[in-house]
Amino acid sequence: MKFFKRYILGLTLLSMLSTSCDSDYLELEPPNILLDDQVWNDTKLITGVLSNYYDRLPAHTSLTTGWADFAAYDEAMWSGYSGNDGLNNIFSYNFGRWSLWDYGLIRDINLAIDKLNTVSELSEDQKTQFLSELRFIRAYVYFEHVKRMGGVPLITEELIYDFSGDPSYLQYPRNTEAEVYDFVISEMEAIMPTLGNNGSQTRANRFTALAVVSRAALYAGSLAKYNSEMGSPIQLPGGEVGIDPSRAEGYYTKSLNASKTILEEGGYGLYNANPDLGENFYEAIITKNGNPEVIWAQDYLLSADKRHGFTYDNVARSAREDNLGSSAITPGLGLVEDFQYLDGSSGELKTHTEDGSDYIYYDEVDDIFENKDARLYGTVIYPGASFRGQEIFMQAGVMVWNGNSYDRIESDGLATEYEDGGVLVAAGGPHRSIQEVSNTGFYLRKYVDNAVGASTRGIRSEVWWVRFRLGEIYLNAAEAAFELGMPEAVDYINVLRERAGFGPNSLSSLTMEDIMQERRVELAFEDHVVWDYKRWRVAHEKWDGNTSNPESMIYSLYPYRVVRPGDPRDGKFVFVRSVAPRFRAPRFFQLGNYYSFIGQDIIDANPKIVRNPFH
Amino acid sequence: MKLKSINTYLILLIGLMAASCDFDNFEEPKSTLSGRVVYNGEPLGLRSNGVQLELWQHGYDLFQKIPVYVDQDGSFSAVLFDGDYKMTLLRGNGPWMDQTDSIDVQVRGNQIVDVEVQPYYVLSNTSVNRNGDNLSVTFTVDGVNADRGLEHASVYMGRTMLTDAVRNDGIFNVPADQIELGTPVTIEVPIPGNLSARSEIFVRIGAKTVGIPELVYTQVESITL
Repeated sequence: MKFFKRYILGLTLLSMLSTSCDSDYLELEPPNILLDDQVWNDTKLITGVLSNYYDRLPAHTSLTTGWADFAAYDEAMWSGYSGNDGLNNIFSYNFGRWSLWDYGLIRDINLAIDKLNTVSELSEDQKTQFLSELRFIRAYVYFEHVKRMGGVPLITEELIYDFSGDPSYLQYPRNTEAEVYDFVISEMEAIMPTLGNNGSQTRANRFTALAVVSRAALYAGSLAKYNSEMGSPIQLPGGEVGIDPSRAEGYYTKSLNASKTILEEGGYGLYNANPDLGENFYEAIITKNGNPEVIWAQDYLLSADKRHGFTYDNVARSAREDNLGSSAITPGLGLVEDFQYLDGSSGELKTHTEDGSDYIYYDEVDDIFENKDARLYGTVIYPGASFRGQEIFMQAGVMVWNGNSYDRIESDGLATEYEDGGVLVAAGGPHRSIQEVSNTGFYLRKYVDNAVGASTRGIRSEVWWVRFRLGEIYLNAAEAAFELGMPEAVDYINVLRERAGFGPNSLSSLTMEDIMQERRVELAFEDHVVWDYKRWRVAHEKWDGNTSNPESMIYSLYPYRVVRPGDPRDGKFVFVRSVAPRFRAPRFFQLGNYYSFIGQDIIDANPKIVRNPFH
Repeated sequence: MKLKSINTYLILLIGLMAASCDFDNFEEPKSTLSGRVVYNGEPLGLRSNGVQLELWQHGYDLFQKIPVYVDQDGSFSAVLFDGDYKMTLLRGNGPWMDQTDSIDVQVRGNQIVDVEVQPYYVLSNTSVNRNGDNLSVTFTVDGVNADRGLEHASVYMGRTMLTDAVRNDGIFNVPADQIELGTPVTIEVPIPGNLSARSEIFVRIGAKTVGIPELVYTQVESITL
């Protein structure tokens, strides 16, 4: 027993001695956590933080975030996995559909700015550059908020709770909508000289900031103008939504000046590397090497295992390389017909003779699309167009002449043969009911990768998501100049039309309808249509929930082969248009959708927040 | 003896397990609040699933509204717990004036509450008759609070009882400049081709106030063709 006690005493002493040598025992640096002064003094680590924030930037529809919602508006419908058919059956848009309240991200950015100011010992130049970039990201996040929610509280510093039991000093009311737009614009202007990153297409530089001004000021200007032109403007007494119409001109001027600076000094140019104009327009968006048009993109890289499955899900059925997926987002006939003919006539496709008595017979299935705006080819795969060097042939069935009229014969399978030995239904559809085959008669081309293997689940795609490109800047300049009554507005649009195959100066004058139409065909599937319709205050008229309004519906165009032996029309193709069979409910945008719903949990936590109109 | 005690415990345990289901769960709400949205005691015609009333209950941690959707004949009902609620009209939502005061509603068992609103316009003296290929429609738009302009009145025709500005098979629009408030308007409405072959169609007239998304309607009328 005595021996035992001594033994314990000895052990205790020994252990005390052994630890006491290491006087910093309780102050060891953790081997697996980076500390503030390590992060904020190392440019590589700061870049890592920045890349995290870039990656978390909100988007409504992009290649990875909410891409299925490309099929929720009037550009396209859902033809993929039938469990997602809800996108064809949206009874009305939920008030919370576009809600965003990402103060987690804003707090992270504010913290980072704070740390750079207090902890960092980098050179002033480097610090200012990082600070500018962080402020760019923060202002962009606020722009994403204001276009969805109207005015939101502008928090530009870290908020710390003092545990006093009274949090009310942390509760900020909503700023006005105009104040948030002003904040976005003034932040961009403030950081432009110090942003650096010249020539980068993925990190913000001076021209990226100008591009954000070009877009944000245009949005603010049209909100000021078109909201007040409504029979009864949407506004709140405190100005949280609604901008005074007298401010429209100032915003348009800001937007136009920003766009002009990019066009004159940016060194960007429209992509014109491919003499095939259709392929050229497609490449203008997906080409990553030496693309002079892209200003700011979210990039993906195979070797870094940063890839996405957008191509796997949306590649045309007959070109798919995997055994599932494909054909999810299929453009509707309405979008296809918005692309004009090159002689400037309306883009409506000619399926019947002028008196409507008979079909028009086409020798080849793609003849009907001849002489159209080349952007159609670059955006949509229409029947007979090629993809990856292979023709995407489409045929929905045959029309058999019975002596008096045609019997329409279809099949319940794909790649089937009619009794005369010819094709009945093509391998690429279209088909009325089979999932993962086009329901509209069109497939998506924009953003679908033409690289080999990109539509397999093993490889996937590394096509980038273009946030800003020069094409939009031209359109922004045109619209701002038009609203300011400047005659040169039309020149900006003609540049884009010339690239699409129209002659020089194809438009001699401009109307608002022209601008809407050009934006629709140039920027389809680039996350613009919802925001454009909202700021022009036309969304509730375009998508009014009525089946008799063609703009609320998705139409299809099905090609049929004529079987009429002994007649010159035998073997030719006719086209039938109808409401897409899988499309159920017209798009319905209500006045309460113009500003999104602020969750009751947010108002419970901060009673100073007022609700948006109609909610 | 030992075996017996184990058995007793087992039975007790099973009994507890069976009983615990009851203890864990809330009782479901049993009381019904129902009523109508009325003006001068008459229920208003509305779009089904379009107009919403809100119920709020103070005194609990989570303050969330209970949305109550109004049917197209102006009636509504909700199943609730007994308690004191505040009913509010959602601003700008229905075809009536905003009302900042809430209505106190005490739910003790089944309760019927009529919500009196101040509409901008109401429709009266309607009659719809078939006249060859046309419908002869007469109605009067009365301005109750005509400070907000009238945008248009429309005749909506459909195949089902649920006929309104969103669900219909034919619309005939009467612009506001052809309507004098308080004076009967008589119009001939051609029956749309897709409805003319039916034996019965449903007709409703709606009046739209500027800047208010929802219309005020007449009650649905079925017309035999």
